[in-house]
Amino acid sequence: MTQADGREGRAPTAAGTDVFAADHEVGRHLAAVDWAATPLGPPAAWPQSLRTAVSILLSSRFSMWMAWGPELTFFCNAAYRRDTLGRKYPWALGRPAREVWAEIWDDIGPRIDTVLTTAQATWDEALLLFLERSGYTEETYHTFSYSPLRDDVGTVVGMLCVVSEETERVVGERRMATLRDLGSDPSVVRTESEALAFAHRQLDRNGSDLPFTLTYLFDGGSARLAGATGITEGHPAAPLQLPVDESGGAVSGTVWPAATLARGESALVPLGGGPFTGLPTGRWSQPPVQALAVPLLRQGDAPYGFLVAALNRYRPLEEGYQGFVELIAGHLAAGLAGARSYQAQQRRAEELAELDRAKTTFFSNISHEFRTPLTLIMGPVEELRGRLADADDGVRQDLEVVRRNGMRLGKLVNALLDFSRIEAGRMQATYEPADLSAVTAELASVFRSAYDRAGLELDVDCPPLPEPVHLDHGMWEKVILNLLSNALKFTFDGGIRVSTRAEDGYAVVTVADTGIGVPAQEMPRLFERFHRIENARARSNEGSGIGLALVKELVGLHGGTIAADSREGEGTRFTIRLPFGTAHLPPEAIGSPGAAQAVSSTADPYVQEVLRWLPGGPAERGSGAPSDPALGPPSEPTTEPPSDPAQVGAPAAPATVLVADDNGDMREYLGRLLRGAGYRVDTVNDGRAALEAVRRDAPDLVVSDVMMPHLNGLELVAELRADPRTAAVPVLLLSARAGQEASIEGLRAGADDYLLKPFAAAELLARVRANLELARMRNHHSRWRSALIDSLQEAFFVCDEDGAVIEINAAFTDILGYGPEDLPYPPVHPWWPNERTDREAHRMVSDAFATLLDRTHGTYTIPVDHRDGHRLWVSASFNHVHDPDTGRRVVVGTFRDVTADHYAIQRETALAALSLRLARAAGLSDALEGALDELRKLWRARRVLAVLFRDDAPPALVGTDRHLTWQTLPERRRTGLDALRDQPTLTPSAEHPSAITLEHPEGTLAVWVELSERRPFTDQDQVLLTLLAGHIAQGLVRAHQIDQQRDTALALQRAILGPSQLPEGFAVRYEPAASPLEVGGDWYDTFGLPDGRIGIVVGDCVGRGLEAATVMGQLRSACRALLLQNSSPADTLMALDQFAVGVAGAPCTTVFCGVLDPDTGGLTYSSAGHPPAILAHRDGAVELLADGRSVPLAVRPGRPRPTAETVIPARATVLLYTDGLVERRRRALTEGIAQAGRTVQDGRDQALDDLATRIMGILAPPGGYDDDVALLLYRHPAPLEVAFPAESAQLAPVREALRDWLARCQLSRRTTQSVLVAAGEACANAIEHGHRHTPGRIVTLRAEVDVDRLHLTIADSGQWKTPRPDLASDRGRGTALMRAMMQQLTITPGPDGTTVRMHTRIEP
Amino acid sequence: MTAPLTLTTGQRPDGTALLTATGEIDMSNSEKFAAAIDTALGGADGRLVVDLSAVEYLDSAGLSILFAHAERLELIAPPLLEPVLTLSGLSDLTTVKTIPPPTSH
Repeated sequence: MTQADGREGRAPTAAGTDVFAADHEVGRHLAAVDWAATPLGPPAAWPQSLRTAVSILLSSRFSMWMAWGPELTFFCNAAYRRDTLGRKYPWALGRPAREVWAEIWDDIGPRIDTVLTTAQATWDEALLLFLERSGYTEETYHTFSYSPLRDDVGTVVGMLCVVSEETERVVGERRMATLRDLGSDPSVVRTESEALAFAHRQLDRNGSDLPFTLTYLFDGGSARLAGATGITEGHPAAPLQLPVDESGGAVSGTVWPAATLARGESALVPLGGGPFTGLPTGRWSQPPVQALAVPLLRQGDAPYGFLVAALNRYRPLEEGYQGFVELIAGHLAAGLAGARSYQAQQRRAEELAELDRAKTTFFSNISHEFRTPLTLIMGPVEELRGRLADADDGVRQDLEVVRRNGMRLGKLVNALLDFSRIEAGRMQATYEPADLSAVTAELASVFRSAYDRAGLELDVDCPPLPEPVHLDHGMWEKVILNLLSNALKFTFDGGIRVSTRAEDGYAVVTVADTGIGVPAQEMPRLFERFHRIENARARSNEGSGIGLALVKELVGLHGGTIAADSREGEGTRFTIRLPFGTAHLPPEAIGSPGAAQAVSSTADPYVQEVLRWLPGGPAERGSGAPSDPALGPPSEPTTEPPSDPAQVGAPAAPATVLVADDNGDMREYLGRLLRGAGYRVDTVNDGRAALEAVRRDAPDLVVSDVMMPHLNGLELVAELRADPRTAAVPVLLLSARAGQEASIEGLRAGADDYLLKPFAAAELLARVRANLELARMRNHHSRWRSALIDSLQEAFFVCDEDGAVIEINAAFTDILGYGPEDLPYPPVHPWWPNERTDREAHRMVSDAFATLLDRTHGTYTIPVDHRDGHRLWVSASFNHVHDPDTGRRVVVGTFRDVTADHYAIQRETALAALSLRLARAAGLSDALEGALDELRKLWRARRVLAVLFRDDAPPALVGTDRHLTWQTLPERRRTGLDALRDQPTLTPSAEHPSAITLEHPEGTLAVWVELSERRPFTDQDQVLLTLLAGHIAQGLVRAHQIDQQRDTALALQRAILGPSQLPEGFAVRYEPAASPLEVGGDWYDTFGLPDGRIGIVVGDCVGRGLEAATVMGQLRSACRALLLQNSSPADTLMALDQFAVGVAGAPCTTVFCGVLDPDTGGLTYSSAGHPPAILAHRDGAVELLADGRSVPLAVRPGRPRPTAETVIPARATVLLYTDGLVERRRRALTEGIAQAGRTVQDGRDQALDDLATRIMGILAPPGGYDDDVALLLYRHPAPLEVAFPAESAQLAPVREALRDWLARCQLSRRTTQSVLVAAGEACANAIEHGHRHTPGRIVTLRAEVDVDRLHLTIADSGQWKTPRPDLASDRGRGTALMRAMMQQLTITPGPDGTTVRMHTRIEP
Repeated sequence: MTAPLTLTTGQRPDGTALLTATGEIDMSNSEKFAAAIDTALGGADGRLVVDLSAVEYLDSAGLSILFAHAERLELIAPPLLEPVLTLSGLSDLTTVKTIPPPTSH
């Protein structure tokens, strides 16, 4: 830079500097450059192109620089100077560009090179460049383009850079993105740590502006690290705790100036040395050099903490950067403020709720009655009881209710008073020495009858204790009575055990039950006043929640403790420990033993209360209901007729009201009240019993208490509403719980009305009347709806969620015969076809039923059974809808009777299927079988029998069940079928509805459809059967005609092909096409030629049927005649060409024509377009005889045909065939030929005839050959057959012939000799014996060979009077030799001669 | 027609009698063969060498004749006859010398 400074002072003097005139300031500095020292030389000498470029550059207001010449000398304009060059100006002017931009030359150098070498402009957008223009390495972004500059002759000699700096934009956008992300927190409220974590995630994403950040929160005298980004928490620069110390700074070892920040001031901290070594670098390669710490300000209070933001070392900390950091701090502070205020609010809300709960509990449970009015009630009541002993029942019952409830109230009030006394310390107690065990046992015994009635054991185990315990009798009674009544309330099975013991200087009293137990989470509050365990199963929901609290207080007054331990579902045990002696008692309260108080006066209210919880308690007894609980289960409603039906205002037909209340008195009271108003009343004592009663017989109205054991009133309503059958029963709820909340809860559950206790009798009656009236109106509405539905022509039904039909209309009953009286119809509905007898129909219905429940709407057609049993088809459509009353999903559907349509369609379908089957049939029996099969499928019959009655033959059974014959048919069925024989055809028989007779080409056919058991054969079925039988009769006639035609053709074909005497060594086959069974034009022929050779021909005429067969016959004869004459295959085929030209249908016939020398195996052949013969060698090799090939017959008559020659080696097999054997649709012919080759190869050790069968079988397509097939096999040599008179002189010539044949078989000398010896011995045998009896008879020898076996058969065919004696003894040596020479020997003597068969394996 | 069989008698250099057979021996000419052996043995109890090296076929009829005199015979046989002689058990009773068949055959 000093250079630049040095130049600045120089005046522009050089000539030609007018080129710089476009800009005064920069121009002046350019002119001052010592251009002569640059490669460009003085400006005066500059080419015009450079001058123009410079003047454009200088005159532009857009930021540009350019470089020219071999050193790329640097020029720039004023805008570039201002925006980019910075402190490099004017030093840079006239210097090589590489020097000017040394720090970024790695980035821009290649770009400039590209421009200079390719003359293509470059474009870079917002490229990050670290410039050294402001005294430090600066992060900058530039968008620029380099374009080539050319000299006067057009050579690229420089470049122009147009550039705009975008650093501000890029950096600004980056910071904005961070601030935007910080503000994008989607959640409204969150905890402090969540708010910070979210913010830190956002800060962490900007490693450019914030290489790392730390957030500290003040926490008493220190600052706690609440989060960090880009740096590991606990790094020396990121300690987890910082002291907030006024002395501050590095002096006290504090990394960050927490004290300064705590005062609300920011601080810029240089990051060097000490804890700041090894700092993370953010997204840069170098660590930050300073950090800005800003307080997290709190309005009107000390800051929450502070944020440390490490700063980007490549950007100056200008106002924007500082503002950015402060905005982040502001955001963090706002987040903290939100989170803290939210938490504070929540805490406040919880406190308020707690307070409110306590208040509600207290007020809802306390009864504001006091003793004085009670006394004034109870006194007169007792008096009245005495005075009115003879009054009528009603009065006495009333009085009883008053007395009992008075007592109950008194007990409650007494307990409350005890509490207030205890709290005020005014409890007057006198502790007298007492026998704790005796007192306790006596108290327990008071409950005995109640326990008995509840079916619970009361086990009192109270042995005398060693010393007395000081008790206040009144208090102790309350303790024990409370515990016992409590235990009974919550115990349903088992019992209660009360025991006393002395233990470690204490008297220990235990009351343990086997009841429902106390949930663990309730245990801590068990003895809390007014606390009740919600939803506990209990005998009664009565209770104020003060019993146990009082017990605890009372035990405490005795200097004792009470503890409970409990397991849910197992029971609860209360353990009271009382000290012996008097040390723990106030001396003034200790009394001397006094007269024991009568227990009953205190205990009575407890016992009375307990008894009321039990079935058959005092309330029912008092009302005259059965007092013996054994007379009826407790859930059975007690029904009584209206007490006075004639009472004024009673409805004509009394409405039924079901009262559900666990309080016997209330139950009784309501019952009397309602009966008095003329209603029939049933009462039950809990919600479960109520539900059962309603389900059994729905009342017109249910009046139910809310608080009940087992199932409370709200749950009862919910259950009723959930069941469509009971959803409409109106419910009036009664509750003692005050507050609007509770009544809304009741109505929401679906109650029709809600009445608070206490209520006036008139109020209750008014509500009951109103609700009944309302229900009646609803019923009216639903009656109108029913009428509407009933008037529908289509059947209508409603199903509940489970598929039970709960509503139907009149059309439903008309169509199906099932009426509304039996509703609901749960699935499986009675109209479903029987699953056992008609599985298919049943399945259709059950499938349809599944869609009914699964899909929201749909239609289906299904078979159903009318109540009277006849089959119907219905087309149904259904929809799922919500029942507005219950909110439950129901299915509403309609259906039509489409039986007639169904059968019409079925008929059409059946006819179509049958016609198709008949049309496809290849013959009469196929047609009949097909037709019967169709019938069987149509009716899903077990089987269909058809019996053909002919005049001249016994009945023949044709059935779908192939195992059956006429003889094996059950007698009954035979008789039935026999009877049909004389029925007129196509006339349904009344006696056998599922049978019919029809004309068969050969007689009368009786058809019997055997249905699955018990399924009816309806009129519709009969009509259909008749119709189909007519079609079958026609179809059979047609099939019969086809049969006849084909039989004729086949007879002709067979006549043409054979039976001719085949030469030895050949096997042949002919198979007509299978479907339709049809003869064709394929043939084979083999015959002896005059010269001893054998002619072999296989041919294939185009076309099928009789016509082709006729052509074939002519060609076959012609070919044979020509070959006999000529014995040259090629000449024969050429002559046959001429012949075929004149025969219609003969051209294009393919023929293989060959002449075989049976001695040598030499084969001369020529092929007229015929598939190649296959030659399988004995070693398994397969060869195609594809030579001698030319076009099919008569295609090029007169053209010479080639001849090929080959030798069939010993034990090789040749296969000739027509294309029907190998040609398949969608398969290459070569593939078929290869398959045939493999089959011959595999079967080369089989007897030739077996091999022929095997080939035809293996290659046959699944449905039989679809074209006719001719096949010819030859194995060389042909078997040897010699017949000679039984004379020994014949042995030598026979041996010679066999030796010759064996030579043709190419066997080893040794094998040959063995065979010769064995055969010789057998022949000698035959001759020797022959001489003896019938000289001159004939002996035959046959020798056959395949690939690896040789077979010899020697038979003498003379007439034998007696079986020959044992050969072994006679000619033992000969037989031994035969056995030794051959592997297998069998000698079969017989009346017609003896046959010796020998086999041996031979070398392949 | 009987099987072709030529029988020649002679003497071995050591003086032993020699019967040379050429052709085939079967039931049709076994009597002739038997007669030739009898003659060659000449009623004395000396040994006889039967040269079968030019015999192409020998069946059980021929074997029976050889068995009858087995203890006095010495056989010269071609490989072709070896199986028959072995299998019949004759090789166990007489000395059988196997020689290759005449090359002319």
